[in-house]
Amino acid sequence: MIKPIRIALTKGRLEKDTVEMFERLGYDCTAVREKGRRLILPVAGTNLEIVLAKAADVATYVDNGVCDIGVVGKDTIMEMGGTFYEVADLGFGKCRFALALPQGVDFYEGYHTRRIASKYVNVARGFFERKNMDVSIVKIEGSVELAPILGLSDAIVDIVETGTTLRENGLVVAEYICDVSARLIVNIASLKLRKAEIEPLIARIEDYLAGEETE
Amino acid sequence: MKHYDKVTPDGTRDLLFDECVSREEVVSRLTAMFRSRGYRQVITPAIEFYDVFGSSAAHFPQENMYKLSDTRGRLMVVRPDCTIPIARLVATRLTGMPMPLRLYYCENVYRVEHTMRGKPSEIYQAGVELIGSNSLRSDLEIVELAASGLSDINGESFRIELCHIGYFKALIDSLDAGADTKEAIRQCIEQKNYPALSDLLAPFGDSRAAAALGYLPRLFGGEEVFGKAYELFSENGALECLDYLHGLYEDLRQLGLEDRVIIDLGLVNQAEYYTGLIFRGYFDGIGEPVLSGGRYDNLLGEFGAPLSATGFAVNIDPAAQVVGEPAPQTPDILVFSDERHLPEAVNYIKSLTENGLVAENCVYDDFDAAADYARRRGIRQLHVVDDAIEAVDVETLRGEGAR
Repeated sequence: MIKPIRIALTKGRLEKDTVEMFERLGYDCTAVREKGRRLILPVAGTNLEIVLAKAADVATYVDNGVCDIGVVGKDTIMEMGGTFYEVADLGFGKCRFALALPQGVDFYEGYHTRRIASKYVNVARGFFERKNMDVSIVKIEGSVELAPILGLSDAIVDIVETGTTLRENGLVVAEYICDVSARLIVNIASLKLRKAEIEPLIARIEDYLAGEETE
Repeated sequence: MKHYDKVTPDGTRDLLFDECVSREEVVSRLTAMFRSRGYRQVITPAIEFYDVFGSSAAHFPQENMYKLSDTRGRLMVVRPDCTIPIARLVATRLTGMPMPLRLYYCENVYRVEHTMRGKPSEIYQAGVELIGSNSLRSDLEIVELAASGLSDINGESFRIELCHIGYFKALIDSLDAGADTKEAIRQCIEQKNYPALSDLLAPFGDSRAAAALGYLPRLFGGEEVFGKAYELFSENGALECLDYLHGLYEDLRQLGLEDRVIIDLGLVNQAEYYTGLIFRGYFDGIGEPVLSGGRYDNLLGEFGAPLSATGFAVNIDPAAQVVGEPAPQTPDILVFSDERHLPEAVNYIKSLTENGLVAENCVYDDFDAAADYARRRGIRQLHVVDDAIEAVDVETLRGEGAR
């Protein structure tokens, strides 16, 4: 039997949109919709296999070549780095990286070293390095909005979708850092060695995305 | 108080028994071939002065190098690469030798990797450098050598990917953009990031160079790539680079490598370091390149000896995954004797090994312990050296009880 093409999907937020896209492309994702507790699922009638994983793990699996293709947010790619091809912007899962802080505070006033809370410590570090600004970064795993409220940090760096959570917690966006959305990534060796199988799939996704834009 | 006395550092590992055999197998196949083509081995120190790598900061950022200082406080690095120390060696000691020089090495290199991402920080490499020639002959020699090396390890299941960095340089030099934009474009091509690349190129309208750069990540595949590449851009030196690469491709085809060779004109990873041909090698089922190399005509000049050079390195451990499981290393015979016959036992072991057998000396005092050890270690024959020699089949001893 030929080795299947393994596609790693980010569980949760991006999963629904990704499955929808694959279904519109004509792939049978019944197994994914009825997955139960299984993590590796076949796409009926194809040589594709879908692997469900956490965002950061999608990048790791594709980087190490145990999955050929992945769907993962740009936020994760920016935070993790890694060596793979990033061939398409899938257009969904859109949000922005932003620096946010309590309403009415001027972030740049005074000379004390700011403390920044973030789940995305590398993104935060990169952002302030580009500003040549020394900050002290604290890694927070859960709701980052708590950190300035509790007095742990002056500001946060986080992804912002609608801004509702920020508003409800008395925070405002001070600066947008960059846009984020779901990306299609491909392992370097896979793209070269399995071009005949992977390129048509990428082309179908690109056609689909082009169609979406003109709709 | 010791905390780390029972573990190895991140990114390193112990290699045991058959892992060593597989690794040694790959190395011996490669080095035998290197030697058969006139390459000679060099060994450089594992630690070098930081300054040796200082001019290559773009390829070896300081955060990726292990550093230490010597007794006079000078900064040292544990080598992250073998080619740069060899460039130092050639420039300082070998410029008077007949050119070209054919050198090979087999060493560990060390790179600080992100922890827990599955990437090793100690990487065992074997590679060659062909120094002092800048011709199609030497490029063909080195690519063919790479193909032969991969084939010696994994039969037909390999691919060699070729690029000529001159094509990208012709394109990017034709674009009226600042250095930062050009670097951002290069990165997008390296990552085949089509959407970001087209955003970056949008301000340059429909200039031929911009259109070709936008298409560059897709310029990979078989011979058809050349037709498309000629059509997209042939000005500013691009034509000559494509002709050169196409000529090399033709030669490789005549060598029967047509199905093994792929072209990727978007292979722009180390555009500043490489000056001409760039290539990488893959094995089916291994998710990373196992071989990488190319022409680097400017490096030796940085050490004061402007000599052309090309070469490649093979990452041994991923390559070793494809050589089959080696035979288990079980001795053929366990040799046992009582204390009065120890010299005879040693002589007997020597006579067995001279006949190509693997014989192990038994360190136990009594026969039952010896038989028990042989059984657990999987040794089939137990030879007892007394005034005569008695051969016992270990299997038949089972259940017989004490003798």
